Amino acid sequence: MSGSTEANERVVCAILAEQVAALRDRMDAANTFDLLWRTTALLSWLSGLLNDLSTQQPSPNPVLERERAEAVAEIVEIRRALDELAFFQAQRQDFAKQIADCVVTALERMAIAEMPPGTSFSSGDLAELYVSKDQRELHDAVMRRLST
Amino acid sequence: MAVILVLDDSATMVMSLTHILKGAGYDVETGMNGREGITKLTDGVKPSVILTDLNMPELDGIGFIKEARKIASTKFTPIIVLTTESGGRKRDEARAAGASGWLTKPAEPNQLLSVVKQLCPSK
Repeated sequence: MSGSTEANERVVCAILAEQVAALRDRMDAANTFDLLWRTTALLSWLSGLLNDLSTQQPSPNPVLERERAEAVAEIVEIRRALDELAFFQAQRQDFAKQIADCVVTALERMAIAEMPPGTSFSSGDLAELYVSKDQRELHDAVMRRLST
Repeated sequence: MAVILVLDDSATMVMSLTHILKGAGYDVETGMNGREGITKLTDGVKPSVILTDLNMPELDGIGFIKEARKIASTKFTPIIVLTTESGGRKRDEARAAGASGWLTKPAEPNQLLSVVKQLCPSK
């Protein structure tokens, strides 16, 4: 490979590293999670309030009491589902960021201008950056596909 | 109230774990890496359970576990590794360092709480 081709590829790697890093930074959904958690806290508060109001009624209306119990049960279920959704999404986001981190690190290493001529960044070097089984399995699948 | 120490370099994960654990009635202390975790312990935080990620800057999960096991107050504190890593080599490494258990992400809130509850039933 000629020197200018290698230099061009390093420039491309450097640009791609910046682009993936920008994409990774946009993955931050802290505001969404904050809103989800505030919603679940509000639901908790509402169900507690409904229970408190009920206990303060000297002679509760049976129809309203049944509806209150149904509403509280529904609130509890929605709160549980929102908690689970937020927790899953937080973990998925974390995982996606880790994959993006790995790509950025690999591209940055490939873009290093001081790398001796002819030095390459191997698939083994890339594999050293992985932090999950999913990444390794994907890597192995690609390697198998390319070797056939 | 039982204190859970949560260590993860993802702010979203720390907030999410804190929300789940506080919702279940636990007190939560947090750190963004193993070094912050050790500082918490040496500053006197006495967690009933420690939840730690593996891949963190400055001091990773394995390094944290090794150092935490040298501190008298956390020599026998349950340490659960919560990570995307599910590979045997890393798991063995964590166990050798002194980890008590392992949860692979994505974990369910109930799965997490069930493990924590088993380890500190006296909440």
